[in-house]
Amino acid sequence: MKTIQYSPQQANSGKSTFRLFLIVFFFSLSFVARSQEKNLVAIGNQTGVPATLKLSELKAVMMGEQQRWKSGNRVLIALMKTTTPLGKQVAEEIYDMTGDGVNKYWLALVFQGKAQAPNFFSSVAELENFVAQNPGAIGILNKPSNSDEIKTILIDGQKTF
Amino acid sequence: MIKIRNYALMCMLAGPFFVHGQNTQIRGFVDVNSSYSKDASTFSLGEQDLFITSSINDRISFLGETIFKYSATSSTLFAASVERMIINYNVYGNHNLIAGRIHTPVNYWNDSYHHGRVFFPTIARPLMFDNNIIPLHSTGVGIQGKDLGSLKFGYNLFVANGLGSNEVLDNDKNKSFTASAYFKPTRDMRIGVSWYNDFISKGATVHGMKYAHRVNQNLASLSVANFGKKLEFLAETTVGFDDVDSVGTSTTVASYVYAGYRIKDKFIPYVRYDDIQYHGEGHSMMNNSSKMVVGVRYQINYLAVLKLEYQDIRTEGSADVNKIIAQIAVGF
Repeated sequence: MKTIQYSPQQANSGKSTFRLFLIVFFFSLSFVARSQEKNLVAIGNQTGVPATLKLSELKAVMMGEQQRWKSGNRVLIALMKTTTPLGKQVAEEIYDMTGDGVNKYWLALVFQGKAQAPNFFSSVAELENFVAQNPGAIGILNKPSNSDEIKTILIDGQKTF
Repeated sequence: MIKIRNYALMCMLAGPFFVHGQNTQIRGFVDVNSSYSKDASTFSLGEQDLFITSSINDRISFLGETIFKYSATSSTLFAASVERMIINYNVYGNHNLIAGRIHTPVNYWNDSYHHGRVFFPTIARPLMFDNNIIPLHSTGVGIQGKDLGSLKFGYNLFVANGLGSNEVLDNDKNKSFTASAYFKPTRDMRIGVSWYNDFISKGATVHGMKYAHRVNQNLASLSVANFGKKLEFLAETTVGFDDVDSVGTSTTVASYVYAGYRIKDKFIPYVRYDDIQYHGEGHSMMNNSSKMVVGVRYQINYLAVLKLEYQDIRTEGSADVNKIIAQIAVGF
């Protein structure tokens, strides 16, 4: 019977390889996580909506804290229904709430007379169509829009956030 | 014939909603309650709240809130009451002109919860609302702003028919005046103050009570509200000064503190303590009172909530009242 023996150098080399593997593995995980976080795209109508916003400004707008853009156009918010995967993602990442929490937040705000209700959509195509047709409209997608009638709003200088 | 006439009337009423359907929303809220005390157990209907909002154009919008509830004096045993009827004109940015009937923005509760029980953190409103200390409604015009600057500053200035008036006619030359301001140091917190002034004429009837003297009423209020993911906290105090001709000044101090804590996604145990103190000659007939509330709220979803509550109400000169109340409140 043949016995395999490792020298100390070989053992150290194995440890280094394992350590390298772990580093690459966790780096890949963090890269995947980062790429998942940064897949939202803010879109707006060609008229009235600014070309760039800070993320904090976008969140304030989506929370109904701004009635008009600086252009004078009324802010019209377009959201995917919170039962859709994109709607849930927007609820978590923009509102820091559950989908139910977002629905309650808006119902309360409208009931208080402090905001106009946003427009909720079941499909991305409907949302894009609404944003394209209404000056001042803003919405959030999980991929850039192909429509010429819609512009991508840069958030903190980036197309995705 | 009557059926045809009714149908035509319904079509006329419904017409605007079809024509401007994309801009008009109709929502509603209802609640049903059950209470148990030493002497009796009762089921009771709460309010059916019809809530309408409509965007008339780019700047003008409408908000209406009408309540249907039990009324012993009505032939049908139900009565309708217009609680809010507001025409809003967006002047500039977040500044709006408002006209109509509003819930007087003297404190957080009256400015936030209105009649939708599904939003109430407890089953019922604090004692200060039941004891006619807060002027619940005002009919008039005003200006309001919200979410201004980094502290999300908000304000309300409102001139209205004074106490003793009705919704179509002021009973005297005096107008009530409400000024309130608040800011939000964090997303979940709102801190606010308000001041309300009115002159109640001699002989005026307010909340069923006839005033024998002219009264200059001033109310100063302070509110601190924090509704976070876990902790809910709301504390409000109103100090009322009634300067009564030839009698002197009477003071009322009405406060409550509410705290709730979300222990699971849908369960929020809570407590609330209300206290009302009367001082001065003008309040010699008023009795100090307090209320302790301990309960739990189960949020089924954003449109349905169950609450179970124990209430202990103590009023000077009266026997204590203890009861257990359950409520289901829904929105639709």
